[in-house]
Amino acid sequence: MKPLPGILSVFRFVFFSGMVIICAAVIGAMFLVFYTVPDLPKLPRDVSRIIETPQSIVYDSSGQVLMRLGERESVPLARVSADFINAILATEDHLFFQHHGINKLRTLKALYVTLFRPGRIEGASTITQQLAKNLFFSFEQSYTRKFKELLVALQIEATSSKEEILEAYINQIYFGAGAQGIEKAANTFFGKSARELTLPEAALLAGLPKSPTAYNPFVHYDRAMKRRDLVLQRMVNTGFITKNQAAEAAAKAPLLRKEKQDARSGSYFLDALVRELIQVYGENVVYHGGIQVYATVDSRLQKSAKMALAQGLDNLDTMIAIPAGKTPRPQGALVAIETATGAVRALVGGRNYYNSEFNRATRARRQPGSGFKPFVYYSAFASAGFHPGTVMTDQPVTIPVAGATDWRPQNFGHRFRGDMILKTALTHSVNTIAAQLVHITGPRAVMETARKCGIKSPLDDVFSIALGTAGVTPMEMAQAFSVFANLGRHHPPFLFWRVEDAFGRILFERIVQDRQVLDPALSYQVVDMMKAVVETGSGRTIKEQGFKRPCAGKTGTTDNYNDAWFTGFTPTLCTSVWTGFDRRQPMKDANGLGITGGRGAAPIWADFMLQALAGEPERTFPIPENIRFEQVDPVTGCQAGPDDIPKSTVIALKTGQTVCGQEKP
Amino acid sequence: MILGWYEPVTFQEWIKRTASFLNLGLLIFSAVVFFSEFRYDWCEQLLGNFLASTNETRPEKGAIWELGKDTINAHQSLNKIIDRKSDTRRFAHKAASFSGISARLIPGEWVILEKEQFKRLYLSLPLTHARQIMEPARLIWLLNGEVTDRIFCEGLKNGMKIYFINAENRVVQHIDLKENTLDAIAEKQYLEPGRLEKFDGFMGRIYPAEQFFKAVFKLPQEMIPDLLPDTDLLLDQEGTILRIGISNEAKDGFIRLGIEIQHRNQPGVLFVRAREWAVWQLGLVLKGEHP
Repeated sequence: MKPLPGILSVFRFVFFSGMVIICAAVIGAMFLVFYTVPDLPKLPRDVSRIIETPQSIVYDSSGQVLMRLGERESVPLARVSADFINAILATEDHLFFQHHGINKLRTLKALYVTLFRPGRIEGASTITQQLAKNLFFSFEQSYTRKFKELLVALQIEATSSKEEILEAYINQIYFGAGAQGIEKAANTFFGKSARELTLPEAALLAGLPKSPTAYNPFVHYDRAMKRRDLVLQRMVNTGFITKNQAAEAAAKAPLLRKEKQDARSGSYFLDALVRELIQVYGENVVYHGGIQVYATVDSRLQKSAKMALAQGLDNLDTMIAIPAGKTPRPQGALVAIETATGAVRALVGGRNYYNSEFNRATRARRQPGSGFKPFVYYSAFASAGFHPGTVMTDQPVTIPVAGATDWRPQNFGHRFRGDMILKTALTHSVNTIAAQLVHITGPRAVMETARKCGIKSPLDDVFSIALGTAGVTPMEMAQAFSVFANLGRHHPPFLFWRVEDAFGRILFERIVQDRQVLDPALSYQVVDMMKAVVETGSGRTIKEQGFKRPCAGKTGTTDNYNDAWFTGFTPTLCTSVWTGFDRRQPMKDANGLGITGGRGAAPIWADFMLQALAGEPERTFPIPENIRFEQVDPVTGCQAGPDDIPKSTVIALKTGQTVCGQEKP
Repeated sequence: MILGWYEPVTFQEWIKRTASFLNLGLLIFSAVVFFSEFRYDWCEQLLGNFLASTNETRPEKGAIWELGKDTINAHQSLNKIIDRKSDTRRFAHKAASFSGISARLIPGEWVILEKEQFKRLYLSLPLTHARQIMEPARLIWLLNGEVTDRIFCEGLKNGMKIYFINAENRVVQHIDLKENTLDAIAEKQYLEPGRLEKFDGFMGRIYPAEQFFKAVFKLPQEMIPDLLPDTDLLLDQEGTILRIGISNEAKDGFIRLGIEIQHRNQPGVLFVRAREWAVWQLGLVLKGEHP
């Protein structure tokens, strides 16, 4: 017998080897399927029904819906714009109506790329596979997960029609900004229903599921538009639209519904509210319990707060001369509390929630600087028997500190003015006098007053507490100053009035209880002094900006201009504003001058309060019965004679208190 | 058979064998299988139907099932809260005393009381204790005017707090009821164990019962109810009244009287409040200065 020609021998080897490999692969695949099946998740009877869960609703103080939590509003395909359906098919899976769950050619190509081109990943998931992944699997990347996802997709195809699958898919995909499902997305981004979406809008939305954060049009509009153009191009390539239609659509820039940026966690207030609700009821109840929450926030005030802070921070950018687009930029926070109850009416925790979710209003502990002095003065009145007419001397002060170097506080501007009454000292925020007061009362008395007013942040038992060296949050400052506005009555701040279950049964109801923590007359004396701060002192920007209602407040600036505060109140609303850099760095204007609370925060306060109180009747601060007023000389503290009236000042005195060095507390 | 097999020796032989009916059949079958799968996706359908047939035996797991379970858990939690509230409300409405409600409420838990319910519980107390909780005149103002909208009871660690709330959800009045006070009322243990000397403020102002009451009856008839307003409590006591002490401190127009009672060889003191001006008159009688 002649030996077999070489080529035929090779052919025979390849043929039989191939047969063996194919048989082994088939057997292996069957084994893998049988092995995996028991571990696959069970499918619900109707894939589109299971995504419906009850939503928890948050209402604002006027009963308007602020946010729906865990919402998955399902709409039938017939109520979705055909342009959107075409756009999503073109983008995600243009052969959706041809395949049975997997696109074999794309899968083989993706497999080849994954295996033989390290570093490159090519997606081949069909809409059905994406649905299977979203409904049943985590986002863990593994071959096992991918294989299971593929099997589930095959089962979905075998048990549901294409329309049912597509409907389930578009109702559960995430578009970003808290929008799950096409109906919610259309409403969140454009304020309309899914049926009303135009081609430019539909294409924009169809581009988002690939990366909802990266393409979030509220934050990265240009990026989202580029992605939209890509979607339009794919629609042309797949024959859904003509080139002309694509060009027409590309020429239009869809208008976003700006106010919806605040929906869901787009708002610092809602974020704080949800955080608190979760603490009380747990995540399950909050997101899946269908509870109704009646929040304290007033949408009108919240909008004003956001605008005022944004405007104020833009002005700061200009003042500091930060070029557009350059970071870091100064941040800010604003909290407004209803003085009579403690209800938080507006809360903004930063420039833009989408850029930074850190809530500075409730979580940033920053030094209040001179903003802490009202607690020092109150403590001096309460424990040392001083009053607004008590005379002290603004002079260099050295206070011995046990175990450390002496404390030598300096005034802002490094000058000393000599004798003055305490009202003048607070009005002009004189550090040396605040230091002398804390030396007399002791830091503990100041800490105690601050604690009574609701300051919960750690406070150190040191003299420098008088100059606000302990970090506090804007929420704490607003709460504490509203105690003065209330003549010593404290109300803890709160974010919601009532919580009900889905059937209206009450789970929680807030009751307001006055707790008298400070002496009313002494509190009024501090209020009267803080009124002078706004009228003639470091906070006079308030009046200069046109806020003419009766109000009181105190500026605060830290030594190196890291923090600029203004906390102030009318008889009904107490607002605290903080501005500064997240990573502590000085705020100085283009001329190198430091930005104080009066320049940085007070204009924001005034802007907000002007809008917030527009249309409200003007109210004056109530005066306790045991308060009388005296016209005194601001230097000697003695009663002003007829000739001294022009340069005199009016002080509030409690019954039993006398002026001119004859204090009888 | 296999032994008779030989390897083809010529190319023609190879072609002949390759193109045999069996081989061609196998090839065509394989091609049909392969291309029909691409055309009709029968493999996916077959697998899909097979998986559907095993559906009921498979576990309910994965994100969407977890979501469903979370929803069920959330409803269970809410129902638990609501059920507890309903039970507490039912219990409170049937309760015969404040101590009954207090025992039921866990710290932080609250229940709403009807005005009538509060009134009923208040009136069930001995007048002396009812007065200690709240002056009847104040209660009339709170309950019979438009001041109070609702009454909240909130459980504390050692008792409960009762809030009278107006229509604006603002507390207009609140009462702290301590557990030991409620227990004493419930068990009618009004006597503090010990003799008068054990308590501050009575030294030098302690009188034997006979001397005290003789002096009382020397006062004008209309003055006696102001001196001994809590007669219900005194009449309710078992044992013998031995001595009466008059406190040397006045508060809000009242002076405390300590009445020492001996019961089963155990001395105890019952405290009542008397009008300051009536006690002053009594003092004159006791000193023999009364006209």
